[in-house]
Amino acid sequence: MDLAFTPEEQTFRETIRDWVTAHLPSDLSTKVHNAQRLHREDMQRWAKILGAKGWLGYSWPTEFGGPGWSAVQKHLFEEECALAGAPRIVPFGPVMVAPVIMTFGNAAQQARFLPGIASGDVWWSQGYSEPGSGSDLASLKTRAERQGDHYIVNGQKTWTTLGQFGDWIFCLVRTDTTGKPQTGISFLLIDMRSPGVTVRPIRLLDGECEVNEVWFDNVQVPAENLIGEENKGWDYAKYLLAHERTNIADVNRAKRELERLKRIAKTEGVYEDVRFRDEIAKLEVEIVALEMMVLRVLSAQTSGKSSLDIAGLLKIRGSEIQQRYAELMMLAAGPSALPYIFDAMEAGWQGDQVAGLSGFPGGNVHNAPLASTYFNMRKTTIYGGSNEVQRNIVAQTVLGS
Amino acid sequence: MDFNFSEEQIQLADAVGRWVEKAYPFERRLEISRNGGFSEEAYQSLAELGLCGLLTSDAYDGMDQGPVEAMVVMEQLGAGLVIEPIAQTWIASALIQAFGSEALKSDWLPSLAGGTQRIAVALNERAGRYRWQVCETHANNDQLTGHKHVVLGGADANAYLVSAMHNGQLALYLVANGAAGLRAEPYATQDGGRAVDLYLKDTPAILVTADGLTAGAAAEAMGIAWLCAEGVGIMERMLAITVDYMNTRQQFGKTIASFQALRHRVADVKMALELARSMSYYATLKLNAVPEERDQAMARAKVQLGQSMRLVGQACIQLHGGIGVTDEVAISHYFKRLTQMEMQCGDTLHHLGRVSDQMQATAGVFA
Repeated sequence: MDLAFTPEEQTFRETIRDWVTAHLPSDLSTKVHNAQRLHREDMQRWAKILGAKGWLGYSWPTEFGGPGWSAVQKHLFEEECALAGAPRIVPFGPVMVAPVIMTFGNAAQQARFLPGIASGDVWWSQGYSEPGSGSDLASLKTRAERQGDHYIVNGQKTWTTLGQFGDWIFCLVRTDTTGKPQTGISFLLIDMRSPGVTVRPIRLLDGECEVNEVWFDNVQVPAENLIGEENKGWDYAKYLLAHERTNIADVNRAKRELERLKRIAKTEGVYEDVRFRDEIAKLEVEIVALEMMVLRVLSAQTSGKSSLDIAGLLKIRGSEIQQRYAELMMLAAGPSALPYIFDAMEAGWQGDQVAGLSGFPGGNVHNAPLASTYFNMRKTTIYGGSNEVQRNIVAQTVLGS
Repeated sequence: MDFNFSEEQIQLADAVGRWVEKAYPFERRLEISRNGGFSEEAYQSLAELGLCGLLTSDAYDGMDQGPVEAMVVMEQLGAGLVIEPIAQTWIASALIQAFGSEALKSDWLPSLAGGTQRIAVALNERAGRYRWQVCETHANNDQLTGHKHVVLGGADANAYLVSAMHNGQLALYLVANGAAGLRAEPYATQDGGRAVDLYLKDTPAILVTADGLTAGAAAEAMGIAWLCAEGVGIMERMLAITVDYMNTRQQFGKTIASFQALRHRVADVKMALELARSMSYYATLKLNAVPEERDQAMARAKVQLGQSMRLVGQACIQLHGGIGVTDEVAISHYFKRLTQMEMQCGDTLHHLGRVSDQMQATAGVFA
């Protein structure tokens, strides 16, 4: 047993840190450190910088052009990026669909799709949830009917994160209605510019359009876009869910946000209030405990042991912690969290002459996004399998019944 | 970064686990707690396994093992609800080994390791609650006067390590049981064990170290790390007992394990257990860090353990229903031990205050 990283891992961390320091544009890190609005160009700029270095697919094996890093190295890369204030890598391409294409796709599909994902040029979206299929994903109804060398797709997906920017979407579609719901699902890659695809952004409670509805109206999809075998899509989706489970806890980002929470609490004068500071202290303990749990999973992965019984806990705990730091930041600002000024969440906002605002009320524009972030974070215990569904899974493992 | 146990560590844990199974079943534990809260026979048996001197240098007949070995042993002793004060022996031995004179070491370490003598650590006083630095007991010409409060595992000890103010500084002394002017008043504790209050009046004592602050902090850190490990062992066993019960107990025509409201509580217990285990590892692996870093880690660990122990203890009783609040089942005895541990070495709020007062801008496992 040893808590310390090896000297090689420390050196690796230094290398990553130096590179990120040299290549992360400071306007991007300023936005991230202050939770200002990130636009498509912001996210893609960082993706392409990583892509040019070969690190957008940082979890990829060397045979597909990735760096072939170990679980610990991947974690250190994520940590250095998070602490430096890099925008999150939009996961749908490099983290989610790419491993499925590598594992279950054919050589032609790999040659066609992986380079665009690795470079950051092609934006991928995820088509899983439907209006009638949330936690009960296997009940999905979007139909794909084989007609010659095409599938004809009809139906509706929803909660498609950042789908308004999507070039391609990977979808779970129903190809068979006989037998168990899980056995009639296929994994299909669809060009979002195909005729019959309609994307409608959904405004969320924070005023932002982070997710979308996506309609498919007799969309023709070449049969060569089917991943693996027809009706085996559920297995591929489960593989995807099992992939990269430590990342879902997002403990590295939590460490960065804890620092930000302390800054805000100091600026707003509540850090010296013991009752408030104790709440931060509790969160600090929770984050250290989560980080230890992540390190345990990494250690198990490194030594080739199964750690599934604790990996499932990471999503629950990580999402609760995300919600808590967002809540405490909002509460630290207190009354200053109340002004809802949409444009003040943009970097460089200098007030609004037309509306008669000389600046953000009270003067600290960094308070502008705090309530919105709190509202936005309610999603974390709902998405990716709601925390109640996660508890069912944990209980199943523990009770064995 | 590696959380795997060595072959030897696994064997050690297995050996202690087998001993618990064979020599310390629940009925035996119940009998011991009903008959004074300490079994000389059980303690001797642990000494024969080499556990009393686990951390003592081999120069003094010990096993020369480290914090991780201590942790795996404490987990097993926790799972068996072993009440004999092994952790007290380790703390006393470590303090004498680190701070004592050669004479003290050769007088005490081999007999502590062999289990023929025991020393209890008496730092806390009533006024200071968990703040062992608050000390009214004072030393005058190596004679101590004062009152030490709730000295756990102290009944029938051969000697006590007692803190006292000397020339305005906290110092640590060794007081023999039966010394002149010493009155030890023994009583049972909530967990079925035993403690004493010590009343000292001009009681002759041997100075162990004039640097009582360093020694006390080390004692507290060890105490916390081993409480954490014991707590993990207890919680893991409580969960296992509860799972068995839930898969057997029938209501409304099915096992109670089938009810979602109860299943979600089981998931919460598992979460609390694994967070606690994570922080127990953290505490153990920070035990040899520099004092400031070590003590920050211990405070964080005890906060997590406190929260986990409360949740797991209360949930496992609740999941048992009425049978859980009877004296005849093991689960209620595990719960009482877990509850007592909250009030040992500083409770959750005490340590949350330490974390809160000493927070830095950045925080994490390595900061």
